[in-house]
Amino acid sequence: MKRADPPRFLLRFLKWFCKEEYHADIEGDLLEFYDRRAEQHGKTRADLRLLKDVVLLFRPGIVRQAIIHQPINHNGMIRSYFVMGWRNLWKNKLYSSLNVVGLTFGIVCFLLIGLYVYDELSFDTQHSQRDRIYRVITHEKNPNNQATTVAAAGFMLAEESRHRLPEVQMTTRMQRTGRSNLVDPQNPVRVQETVTIVDEYFLQVFDFPLLEGDRSTALKEPNSIVITEDLAMRIFGRVDVLNVNLQFEHMQNPVKITGILKKHPQNSTFNFTSLLSEATPLTNEGFRRWAESDWASTSFTVYALLRADANADSVARKMTRMVNANASLEPGTVVRHSLQPLEDVHLRSEGIADGARNSNVDSIPQGNPVYITVFSFTAIFVLLIAGINYTNLTTARASSRLKEIGVRKAIGAVRGNLIRQFLVESLITTIIAFLVAVLIVALLLPPFNEFVNKKFSLFSSVGLQFWIAAVGMIVLIGLLSGGYAALLLSRFNPVLLLKGLKIRNGGDFSIRKALVVLQFTISTVMIIGTIVLFMQVRFLNNTDLGFDKELMVVIDVNVQKARSNFEWVKNEMSKIPAVQSVSVTSRVPGEWKTLQRIKMKKEGGAGELQVAYAIGADKDFLSTYDIELLKGRNFKNDNDTSSIMINEAAAKVLGITEVSEEVVDIPQIARNNFFTPIYEDANASFKPRVVGIVKDFNFQSLRAKVEPLVIAYNYNPIYPIDYYSVKIQPQNIQATLDKLKAIMVANDEREPFEYHFLDDQLALFYLEDQRSQTILAWVALASVIIACLGLFGLATYSAEQRLKEIGMRKVLGANMFSIMSLLSKDFVKLVLIACCIAFPVAWLGANKWLEAYAYHIDVEWWIFALAGIIATGIALLTVSYQAVKAAIVNPVKILRTE
Amino acid sequence: MKRIQLGEFEEIVLLTVGVLHGNAYGVTIKDEIEARLNREVTIGALQITLRRLEAKGFLKSRTGESTESRRGRPKLFFEITAYGKKALDYTKESRDELWKSLPKLVLKLK
Repeated sequence: MKRADPPRFLLRFLKWFCKEEYHADIEGDLLEFYDRRAEQHGKTRADLRLLKDVVLLFRPGIVRQAIIHQPINHNGMIRSYFVMGWRNLWKNKLYSSLNVVGLTFGIVCFLLIGLYVYDELSFDTQHSQRDRIYRVITHEKNPNNQATTVAAAGFMLAEESRHRLPEVQMTTRMQRTGRSNLVDPQNPVRVQETVTIVDEYFLQVFDFPLLEGDRSTALKEPNSIVITEDLAMRIFGRVDVLNVNLQFEHMQNPVKITGILKKHPQNSTFNFTSLLSEATPLTNEGFRRWAESDWASTSFTVYALLRADANADSVARKMTRMVNANASLEPGTVVRHSLQPLEDVHLRSEGIADGARNSNVDSIPQGNPVYITVFSFTAIFVLLIAGINYTNLTTARASSRLKEIGVRKAIGAVRGNLIRQFLVESLITTIIAFLVAVLIVALLLPPFNEFVNKKFSLFSSVGLQFWIAAVGMIVLIGLLSGGYAALLLSRFNPVLLLKGLKIRNGGDFSIRKALVVLQFTISTVMIIGTIVLFMQVRFLNNTDLGFDKELMVVIDVNVQKARSNFEWVKNEMSKIPAVQSVSVTSRVPGEWKTLQRIKMKKEGGAGELQVAYAIGADKDFLSTYDIELLKGRNFKNDNDTSSIMINEAAAKVLGITEVSEEVVDIPQIARNNFFTPIYEDANASFKPRVVGIVKDFNFQSLRAKVEPLVIAYNYNPIYPIDYYSVKIQPQNIQATLDKLKAIMVANDEREPFEYHFLDDQLALFYLEDQRSQTILAWVALASVIIACLGLFGLATYSAEQRLKEIGMRKVLGANMFSIMSLLSKDFVKLVLIACCIAFPVAWLGANKWLEAYAYHIDVEWWIFALAGIIATGIALLTVSYQAVKAAIVNPVKILRTE
Repeated sequence: MKRIQLGEFEEIVLLTVGVLHGNAYGVTIKDEIEARLNREVTIGALQITLRRLEAKGFLKSRTGESTESRRGRPKLFFEITAYGKKALDYTKESRDELWKSLPKLVLKLK
């Protein structure tokens, strides 16, 4: 028969309160009764009786004594902790300052990186409804199975979601259509601005702070514009410009300023300077009709404000269903929507094209989550290394404090007192280090800001939250680093301590060794990371791209006349003596705006249409950019309108090896993600002849492989001019630029003359890498320094401990070298072990990062060797200072004292 | 001789332990007292008395084997010590003394 079991909690309660020595048999008695009662009266009554018995057992005599120390007044003791802590730190100035300096370095790195990471993570958090704002993403697959993901949707999706989906509280549309000159009619100075068109709900979904104007009505009326205060300052020199008229050059009607926005904070993905009401283009009947049937154009960036309890996935599914029911999609096209939380827009938009990708506007800068992760880890690691220093130094020096601990224990300190004593010491150290670090950060901020291109200030740019987190982190480090030492040192038996017996602490020593190995592993990984990053960035900037990027002035075409009258402009420019050659193109190599793509096929050839990028260029393109022509010929004159040149990659996909005027079918072109027929008749195609093959050159970022490219000549369907490329001489660059500007302005007085140097522009591709490289280099340096400070402390201490031994050895004839190696050997061994651990870790990490680049350096053995030598070398230098000091000391002095 | 004081319940427990002779542990003692004297004994009161008697030196205990009926918990057997015996004697004697000196008259009052 199965026995009834008594309620466990009663027995546990008994065990908790009952004196240990009574417990076993009392429980036995209780159980014996319990079983008997359970048999006679059933489980319930037995339980009740047991409860009664246990409760009645809860009486003095059986209840164990609580372990409570009589608390008197602790204030005196607490004060004593601080006094003693301070005295101890003061007495050992060398070790204390090593600790403080190490921690300070660590905290400075931690705070600076923390500011940066915090800023990146806090993007777009200034909107009060941020948790409920989502960006609509369109995933589209065309009939050829090409997938695109774009942060945009159709006009009607926004319109109808608002009305039909109960979970959607509000939606808003944004469109960045291009750039145009904005003019104050009273004082015609042109300011070129991105045209951003938003609907009337925009300011209700987002709370961009309005200095003036009414949030709910500002964008309702046609021809209303809201501008930011900095734009107002630029145009008018003042901000009280409500109801003043402005003129966009591309529009007929003037626009009225109905609101002034505050400047964007730096952690905002929005960088518009003006907002034009959507009602303005909607007054155009054609646009209105198009918009009202637009379900799937991906011309609008749509933000949806969901209700509090809505599920984003199900809303996205409803949107998808709605769009598929209403849109007239090309057969075979699959459209799906998803909702991206606003907070993910900055860091998690990899692979999502910008809604304004086809307009001539600057792309919205994005954060790189990889670097954020790497930075966060390095920040914590550096702090960890500094904490380890403290632990190591304190435990290593334990034996010098054994007497103190012994006396304290003998006169009545319990373990808790000692633990608190040591913790207070470590807290004092960390607090000093923290204060010094904040001071240093304050001094370093201006150059740091300039470097990362942000505007941090110590207190205003980050919230209280950041500082609470930072202080919390630092207290934690203080407790952790002091904690181990405190627990270890307070454990010793006072009798042994006072008798002067040596405490064997072999186990503790191996922990210390392990910590040193950990420190140097982290440092070595960082050194390797820095070297790899440095090499890769140098590689990217110096690789032969296949074209000449030096001293290349690229001028944007912004006015129509610069396009139509380009022959004259070119001619004038080439008259300038410093100008080597001039070319006009639709795009320039190393392009940072979207390139056009075409579909092509060899005429009569079988198989699928191939996708290729397309650049329109004139006959001077190859010579200006110094691109090598492999086969065939360059463009000659206007008779080449239907000629093209292709690069090697294109030749390969087309199967052309020799140039013999092959005709290529180009039926479709894509200025954005969607291919459309070139001619109105969808079956007709542009049929140019291939006249030349050029060597592959990297016309995109080196992250991408060289894709097939078609270079077409003037006056054909895939050709609009967008840039002048001017190769100039290195002398007197400013004068040359002035002359170029004069020509452009002479051509059209409205010309804003926007130019840049191609090599600078290309370096922008890798700007972030460069930045990270520098940050990482500094952090690596700091971590090595901190680790070495710790090593220095340990070496000093071990030399001190072994002074007698060294003296004896010298007396017995040891030479300086053998003593140095005696002292250095142990530490160098640790560093070498650290290297062995660090190498594979760093190798894996570096390879993973480099995979993102189509063209990258190989991780070679010498990088590891170099890092190993750096780490070991620095460690050796640190230790050898102490070793030399110990080795040259006169043995008489050491041995005489006793 | 030092004064020996036994409380009423202490005396009963001490005597019962003697009665049970070698088989005196929590359960049997409680059962015995309840059976003979017809009174309810709580485990708490019994245990605390046993411990007190042990502390005073009237009882000594030894741990018995653990048995299945007690789910592995050991029994704690009690025995009267010589001192305990003396205490019982002393108590009995002093009662007898008192009885003897009680005037006959008083007894007749009933």
